[in-house]
Amino acid sequence: MKDLSVSNVDMVYEVPGGTNVQALNNVSFDLAAGRLLSLLGPSGCGKTTLLNILAGFLAPTGGSVTLAGDIITGPGQERGMVFQQGALFEWLTVEENISFGPRMNRADKLATKARVQELLEIVGLAGFGDKQIYELSGGMQQRVALARCLANDPDVILMDEPLGALDALTREKMQSLVLELWKETGKTIILVTHSVEEALYLGDRLFVMAPRPGRIESDYSLPFAEQGLTMDARELKRSPEFREKSQEILSIIWEMEEEIMGRTEGEG
Amino acid sequence: MASTMDGPQDAEAKVSGVLQRLTSSNDDQRKTVTFGDSSAVRSIPFWSVVSLVLLIAFWFLATFAFGFPEDFKDPELTDKQRLTICSQDDACDGSYSQLLGPLTFPSVRDTWNAFFELNDEGFKGFTLLDHTRASLWRVVRGMFFGSLFGIPVGFAMGLSSRARGFFDSPVELFRPIPPLALLPLFILMFGIGDGTSVRLLVFASIWIMIIAARSGVQAANLSKVRAAYSLGASKRQVLFRVLLPNALPELFTGFRVALGVSWGTLVAAELLGLNKGLGAMIFAARPNFRLDVVVVGIIVIATLGVAMDLILRFLESKLIPWRGKG
Repeated sequence: MKDLSVSNVDMVYEVPGGTNVQALNNVSFDLAAGRLLSLLGPSGCGKTTLLNILAGFLAPTGGSVTLAGDIITGPGQERGMVFQQGALFEWLTVEENISFGPRMNRADKLATKARVQELLEIVGLAGFGDKQIYELSGGMQQRVALARCLANDPDVILMDEPLGALDALTREKMQSLVLELWKETGKTIILVTHSVEEALYLGDRLFVMAPRPGRIESDYSLPFAEQGLTMDARELKRSPEFREKSQEILSIIWEMEEEIMGRTEGEG
Repeated sequence: MASTMDGPQDAEAKVSGVLQRLTSSNDDQRKTVTFGDSSAVRSIPFWSVVSLVLLIAFWFLATFAFGFPEDFKDPELTDKQRLTICSQDDACDGSYSQLLGPLTFPSVRDTWNAFFELNDEGFKGFTLLDHTRASLWRVVRGMFFGSLFGIPVGFAMGLSSRARGFFDSPVELFRPIPPLALLPLFILMFGIGDGTSVRLLVFASIWIMIIAARSGVQAANLSKVRAAYSLGASKRQVLFRVLLPNALPELFTGFRVALGVSWGTLVAAELLGLNKGLGAMIFAARPNFRLDVVVVGIIVIATLGVAMDLILRFLESKLIPWRGKG
């Protein structure tokens, strides 16, 4: 299976004339194929750095990452990425955006066309294929980004705060869409988020990460994503188990923030 | 189909709506704060027409000979010729008053007639169209070669640190030089002729196009480029399918600026020793005191400058509809 394995990954940013920043320190974990992992933590904990290493945009200063046993050295189609915003190609229509990957690979045109229609349907944009990107709302644009990523049929989907710029209502709908996609495609999804609620709801596994140096503080396996497939999202988020977990994680993050504040004050 | 179904009342409402847009700023009636709200300020076409009419009226009045004797108004003669004859005749001399004399500024009537004279008979062997065509063709060639060499260099500067370092010195050194300052050198190097002025225009546009292309590459959102690589694009595909279309807005802006600079440079460059071109026409008219020809040249230059900018803006809205949206 296409399991993901991260072993002893270090990432040090060299600051000329200053102290080096340890963005990631000895991060190791294994992720079985088909899991939904969310990365949560205060800013500076290295979650986006980790995601960029998994995507192959950054080479770690130490350690290695393998997908199905192959070492990741650069970006690849087996690892699709969904960005927060602004990553769509404005000069192309919705359809052309979604078919970008297959077209770059010179895939069969008829098959691609059919696949694009199918994807439009899946992300709820049927009939919007001819629209221009700037004619769509933020939520719809993220649906296009999801479809574009799925068009290449990646094994792993990496999401860098994909819902961060959306309003609360749109965000809720998109969360359900991500869950549905996870269930229907069975793909491994790794999602970076700032929202505790989102991390709990969209993570059947959850890493709470800590800063200075960036590391995985705690590793949770959660039932909510599975439950979310059958249960109403709001009901689930109101359940005592969900709220309890949410409180627990919030207090961990609070403690981290306090510690950071204390440290900066001490330095100052 | 819907518009043909409209009743006469709808049509009336439409007409009055258009009229209102052309004459008043009433589109934001519900806004209580408009002073300082730039979105509430637009150019009302009516007032643009008013200022244009005022300009022409001022020109007309300033060059009009008030109290000029009827006997001396020979319809065959130009205003300038009439005034010259009048000044040599004691019965006429001093009988009229005028703000700008015929040796300072041509009258509206003379200029109007000169326009048709230039069109039909031409001046110094070439019609107005010949002169205009020569000037435009020079600008087209200058812009073509300026873009042809400038855009790749700008892209190289945006893509490679080595290229950025290498081209930084020449670009920063040559960019501030007014192209006309090089005219004497160019004339010595390349002689007087068509090729020299085109080379000067290449010099005028190339730096602008380099900077535009460079900033066009730099404007590319990193996640856009990363997304393309993740989707399996090669470097070549990233360049042609992502960076190039993404740089179009900046390239277009650069093109518009370069065209404006080229146009201004060209006319001045043509003043020297070319026999065709709007600048050459203006310069040739000066020794003969054909100020009407000079002013026709100036008006054609101004009109073409505005027209080129409008055409480019129109093309921009068609080719880059996403600009400034989302």
